Amino acid sequence: MSILVVGLNHKSAPVEIREKLAFNAHNIPPALSLFLQRHQSAETVILSTCNRVEMYVSTLDGTVKVDDILLFLADFHKIELNSFSPYMYHYMDDRAVNHLFFVTASLDSMVLGESQILSQVKEAYTTASMEEATGKVLNQLFQQALNVSKIVHTMTSIGKRKVSISSVAVEFAEKIFQDFTGKAVLVVGAGEMCELLLKHLYEEGARTIVVANRTFERAQEIANAYHGQAIKYELLGEYLSKADIIISSTSAPHYVIHTDQVKEAIRHRRGNPMFLIDIAVPRDIEPDAANVDNVYLYNIDDLQSVVSQNVDERTREVEKCRTIIEEEVEHFMARLEEMRIEPAITHLRNHFHTIGKEELDRLKPKIKNLDNGDWEQVVYTMERTINKLLHHPAKVAKQEAKNGGGYRYVETIKKLFGIFHHTDHSQH
Amino acid sequence: MITLPHIPFIVTIVLYFVSSVWSIGYIINPTLFNKKLAKWLMMMGFFVHSGFLIFLGLESGNIPITNVYESFISLLWCVLFVYINLDYLYKLPSLDTFLIPIVTALSIWALTFDGGNLLITVSLQSFWLIAHIIPIFIGYAAFTISFSLSIMYLTQQRQLKHKLFGPLFSKLPSLEGIDNLMWKTISFGFPLLTLGLVFGTFWIRTQNVLGEMWYLDYKVILGLATWLIYAALLHMRLIASFHGTKIACLTIAGFCLVLFTFIGTFFMGSKHAFQKVSEQSHTEILNVQ
Repeated sequence: MSILVVGLNHKSAPVEIREKLAFNAHNIPPALSLFLQRHQSAETVILSTCNRVEMYVSTLDGTVKVDDILLFLADFHKIELNSFSPYMYHYMDDRAVNHLFFVTASLDSMVLGESQILSQVKEAYTTASMEEATGKVLNQLFQQALNVSKIVHTMTSIGKRKVSISSVAVEFAEKIFQDFTGKAVLVVGAGEMCELLLKHLYEEGARTIVVANRTFERAQEIANAYHGQAIKYELLGEYLSKADIIISSTSAPHYVIHTDQVKEAIRHRRGNPMFLIDIAVPRDIEPDAANVDNVYLYNIDDLQSVVSQNVDERTREVEKCRTIIEEEVEHFMARLEEMRIEPAITHLRNHFHTIGKEELDRLKPKIKNLDNGDWEQVVYTMERTINKLLHHPAKVAKQEAKNGGGYRYVETIKKLFGIFHHTDHSQH
Repeated sequence: MITLPHIPFIVTIVLYFVSSVWSIGYIINPTLFNKKLAKWLMMMGFFVHSGFLIFLGLESGNIPITNVYESFISLLWCVLFVYINLDYLYKLPSLDTFLIPIVTALSIWALTFDGGNLLITVSLQSFWLIAHIIPIFIGYAAFTISFSLSIMYLTQQRQLKHKLFGPLFSKLPSLEGIDNLMWKTISFGFPLLTLGLVFGTFWIRTQNVLGEMWYLDYKVILGLATWLIYAALLHMRLIASFHGTKIACLTIAGFCLVLFTFIGTFFMGSKHAFQKVSEQSHTEILNVQ
């Protein structure tokens, strides 16, 4: 039984290479079946995200090699093998398991600790199992990987702190407002960042959205996307006091919102807090506005510094995650070893029971004065004896398996009892 | 002087103190200090506290407000009682971190009133006394909680304003959430205070407990001032829909006045139905009742 992963990611390959090898939802199923046509005894899962393309393959006898997978990728995508092979990495067995656990726990992601990869791995696995491309080994492996990711995320704070400007801003907004339903969001300027933030707030429940932009059409575009209202840029002042949250990112070279206006707005709002997010450079909101009571003004640097602090915090957690994963890899490898000897043990058991049955068949015609109940007792005793005899060797085999020596142990027993068969394929 | 019968109250204080340490510790290091333990310690303290009050009540045969010390302990019990119920209803995150240290500090202060040299002079069986005291105590308890909420509000608003994102920041609820709760506790306490004051006035008018010049009693005057400040708060919030830091500051001012009305007036020489007595006449007064 071997586990092999071949792939590339954002660290090993530039986007020009990654995009050539990328799979999408439509061509993964045909790719899986094509691969299984070539290698019938293999199990495989294809994981393809914007940052990585990886193929996990497991075979019982290690017949599929790295080159086979590379060749398959080249054939499937119809590209030159040499054009991408230098960017590929590959890991075997425990290192492959370690790699998958690392990836699923989001320790190999571009944004450390992000949660998206978990669902991507889940989807890759579901697709493969729907196509019946997975078997005993990869089923166990992927289910365990998803499990490990959960363990890592609950035991460490790798995914706790927010690491994007918009999520940090939303987090602060949540410390000011209990919920966003009924809260008015005023968007000034229609930059990409603004929209991202708006999207985040919308997802959290903000429904009253007003957009002001120099070009009215662009304002309308955004407003339509979020069921909001577009206003003329000149009317901005009138809407200030109605807004609970203001996001500003115009390209204006001067302040767009002045302290006096904010003061006036707060007076109208009778102390209802206002959250001002200024993500423009140069800044849009006069910095002095921060001194107005009940006004909370954050600029891009404030948010960015929190983001980098949180990123540092996550980086500090990596060691803890690594330890957890190493432990889990060990557990998994032990279980794999157990799985490896399982067919052998079954074989051993069958062998003994066959002998027992043969002997009983031989005995039956010789005994005459035995009624059915008594005969059942004889059969039962025979089975019990065999099970008892085998109980200890099977237990020890499983224990040995945990230390990695189970397979050899079972082979020895088989040799000892004269059981011969080539591989365990037939049992599988 | 602390006498033997007060040991249970000292145990209570110790439990409250350790609970405070734990609930503050939880903010700083959640792995080392367990939040549940803090809650349990507080509950244990509350049970000892309750038991002590029952003991005091059984001993004297009256509700335990026969002297300033007992009144203080009863008031603190009300604070905990209201808090535990509110926490059950609204799940107030981290409020105990602010409230329990305040309760602990007030309990220690209450200990200094032990000695019972200010004894109640009115009949404890009077319906009016009960009708006057109980609503006011529960009202005061609600105000104590709104006070700790306003401290919480100001702490959180300071953190937001000055961009201090320490461990406390993430554990405190939103400003709006705190503001709403502050409002709820005040609007719960105010009608009770009003009721208590109205009954008190009836009592004074019908039984003449404070003498002819009752309206010059410090406690009466300050009680009215307390009522006015909370009435103003309610007005600002209800009619003028005011929010934010100003409300929080006013709530703190309101509580200072509550505390001053409750305890401070004794320092100013107000008796308000209590009398300075020596140890000997202590029992005599109780016997007369």
